[in-house]
Amino acid sequence: MSVQDDNISQKSCAGCGEEKEIAPGIGHALKKITATENLVRVAQLSCGAEYSGIQDEIDSAAKQVNAIMVYPEIDIADVESIEEEFGLKVASPDLRLMMARAKSIVTGKVHVDAVFVATCFRCAEAAIVRSEVRRYIHEKTGIPVISYSFTERTTAATLLTRMEALTTTARRKSLLAREKQTGLTAGIDSGSTTTKAIIMKDNVIIGKGWVPTIKVIESAEEAFNNAMKEAGITRSDIQALGTTGYGRFLIGEHLKADLMQEEITVNSKGAVYLADKQKGVATVLDIGGMDNKAISVTDGIPGMFTMGGICAGASGRFLEMTAKRLGVSITELGSLALKGKASNVKMNSYCIVFGIQSLVNSLAGGSTPEDVAAAACHSVAEQLFEQQLQEVDVKEPVIMVGGTALIEGLPKAVEELLKVKVIVPPNAQYIGAVGAALLASGFINK
Amino acid sequence: MEKITKMIVINSSKLLPSDVAMKLYETKDDIIVKETCFGIMVSGERAILDPLLANIRKLDPYGIFIKERGFAPGEPFRCRATRRGGARPGFHNLETEDKILPHIAAALKALDRGDIPGPKKQTKKLDIDKLKAIIKETEVSK
Amino acid sequence: MKVFIYPTNSLILYDMVERFGHEPLAIMQEIGKKVRSQGLDSPPMNITPEDPKFGLKYAAVEVPAGVRGRMSLLDPLLTKAEAAIIVNDPVISFGCMGCARTNELVNFLLRGKKIPILKLDYPSTEEDAKLFVYKISEFLKSLKPAEENK
Repeated sequence: MSVQDDNISQKSCAGCGEEKEIAPGIGHALKKITATENLVRVAQLSCGAEYSGIQDEIDSAAKQVNAIMVYPEIDIADVESIEEEFGLKVASPDLRLMMARAKSIVTGKVHVDAVFVATCFRCAEAAIVRSEVRRYIHEKTGIPVISYSFTERTTAATLLTRMEALTTTARRKSLLAREKQTGLTAGIDSGSTTTKAIIMKDNVIIGKGWVPTIKVIESAEEAFNNAMKEAGITRSDIQALGTTGYGRFLIGEHLKADLMQEEITVNSKGAVYLADKQKGVATVLDIGGMDNKAISVTDGIPGMFTMGGICAGASGRFLEMTAKRLGVSITELGSLALKGKASNVKMNSYCIVFGIQSLVNSLAGGSTPEDVAAAACHSVAEQLFEQQLQEVDVKEPVIMVGGTALIEGLPKAVEELLKVKVIVPPNAQYIGAVGAALLASGFINK
Repeated sequence: MEKITKMIVINSSKLLPSDVAMKLYETKDDIIVKETCFGIMVSGERAILDPLLANIRKLDPYGIFIKERGFAPGEPFRCRATRRGGARPGFHNLETEDKILPHIAAALKALDRGDIPGPKKQTKKLDIDKLKAIIKETEVSK
Repeated sequence: MKVFIYPTNSLILYDMVERFGHEPLAIMQEIGKKVRSQGLDSPPMNITPEDPKFGLKYAAVEVPAGVRGRMSLLDPLLTKAEAAIIVNDPVISFGCMGCARTNELVNFLLRGKKIPILKLDYPSTEEDAKLFVYKISEFLKSLKPAEENK
C-alpha cells in the first residue's frame, strides 16, 4: 500500500494532528466583541454528536459567540411522514429526526436565527441528508445554515470559526447581501504568510499592497501604506476599513477598523464578487501560503467548509519548496509546470516531507524541471482533494483564489483532477482584502 | 449502594398516577417520587426499588408498565423545559409504545386466562396465473 | 437470566422480561451509570471524546465516531447477554437507537454469541399483541430463572 492510500483513511496526518485553532487567543478577542451583540438562537440538527462526546464542544463554541443551541420541537407524526414529504428514505431514525426538525423550521413552527447541521464524518447516509437539509432550509427560508462532519477529535476551537461565520451571517444579513462596493473603503487581510491591502472606490480597485507577514501590525501598516500610495490617498480619505485573516483583531483594533471578520465569510464574498458569480451555488478553493480552505457557497454565503492546518502537502508551502529546489521563483514555477507532464514523475507520497523527497529523487533520476514542477502542482491538487474536499460538494462554478491560484500549473492540475472548469478571477491573491473592502462599505453611513 | 430511577407508565382505568404516588409515599422508604404526564418516576436504591415496584405492579398488573431510566427526575440536560425545545430522544419512543399498551394489557389478560393465540396470518404473494388473468381482464375492459 | 432487549430502550420489552422473572439488559442502565459516576464533565450524557475509542474493539477508526460511541455504551450489555429478544421492525426511536449502522452491528453481534434469541414483529393489532406476548412468555419460561443463575 502506498503512503497516499493510507492518507485517505485519515482525517489528519500524524505529523500535523487535528485542525488547528485559527489564531491563538482568538476566542478571547471574540468574546470581547460578541458580548455586546444579540444572542443568536442556533437550531442544532445533528446525528451522533452526543455519542461522539462532542456535544459539550458544540455548546462551548456557541457560547463564545453569544449563541445558544436549540432543538426544534416535532410531533412523532412528522417523523413518520417526513420521508415521503422530503423524498429521501433513510435507515437511521436520527436522520429522519433531522429532516423533521428541518421541516419544523421551514414551516415556522419554531423560530431560530441560524441552523447548524452536523453528522458523523464518514457516514455516507448522513452526508446525503446533511447536504439536502442544508439546501432545503436555505431555499425555503433563507435562514443561514452551516454544516459540519465531526469525529471524536472535533474541539470547540475547530467549531469556533464555523459558529463565528454562522452567527455573523445571522446578525449581518443585510451587510452580506451587498453586491457592490460603494464610496472609498479599504480592506486588509492579515494572513499567515503575507499581508494584503486593497483600496476600492465606487466598485473599482484603485490601490494594492502585498508584503510578507513578519510583524503583524508593522506588515499591515506597510501593505496599507503601499496601497494608499498607489491610490494617491491618505488615511483620512478612507470612509470605512475592514480587516480579516489571522491578525484581524490585532490590526483591526490598532487601525480602528469598522469591521473585523473571519476569512470564511469575507473570502466567500470576495471570491463570488471577483468572479462575478454572486448568485447561486459556487465552490471556493482558497490555497494560501500555509493555510487553505474549501468552501461551499450559496448566494455568496458560506455553507459547508473545511479549512487548513490539516496537511502542509495541500498548501503553497509545498510549491515554494519545490521552486526553491528547482532554483526558480515561485511565480516562474506555474508556467514551468504548464510545459511539463506530471505522470512522468513517480511520486510515492503527497506529504511535504516524503513528497519533496520523491521529486528530488526523480530529478536525480533525470526528470526535467518542467515535469517536476507539473508533478508538484499535481501533488498539491491531490492532497487538496484528499484532505479538504472530503466534506465539501464540488458544485460549479469552482473559483480558485489565494496566492497559489496564480501558479498556473495548480488550477490546471485541479481541473484535471476534479473534472471541472476552474475559474481564477483577477486579483485572486487579494481575495480577503477585496472582500473586506466590499463589506466595509456597508459601514459608511453608520 | 447504586441509586437508580425507574419509570412507571400507567395505562389503567382503575388507577391514577396520584394513586400510585400515594402508595409509594405510604411506604416511607428512602425514595424520591415525581409525577409526570405518563405516570410516575421513582428514584432510590435498586435493592429498595425492585421489590417495592414489584408490589406496586400488583395494584393493576395489566395497567402498570415499568422500565429503568438513565437520568434522574428533572435532570436539566434532559428536561424539555431546560434543554431549549424538543423532547429528549427517548420520549418519542415512549410516546409510540404507549399507544399499544392497551393491546399489550389485553394480551397479558389473555395469557393469564390460558389462551393460546393462533399463528399469525401470513400473506402470500399472488399466484402468477391469477395475476396474468387480472392483467388480461384489465386489457379486455379497456 | 440476563436478557438483552432490542430496541435497547423499549418499555414493553423491559417490562416483559422483568415481569416474567428475568433480568433485562437495557441501555438506560448504562446511561445511568455514566450520568451518576462522576461530575457531569461532558453533558448531557457524560460521554466524552474518549468513549468512541472503547468502541474500537467492534469497528475500526474508519467507522463513524457516533457508531463507536454508541457501541461503547452497548458493550457491557452485549458482554453480559445470556439471551436476547429482538423486535425486527421496532417503532421509530432516537438517540441510542437512532443510528441504523449501530443497530445492524448489534444484531450481527448477538447472532454471533450463540445465545437463545427470540425474533418478533412489532404488534399493530390486539391479535398481533396476543401472539407477541405469548411468544415472549414462552421464550422466557424456557430460560433458567434469574435467581437460579446467580
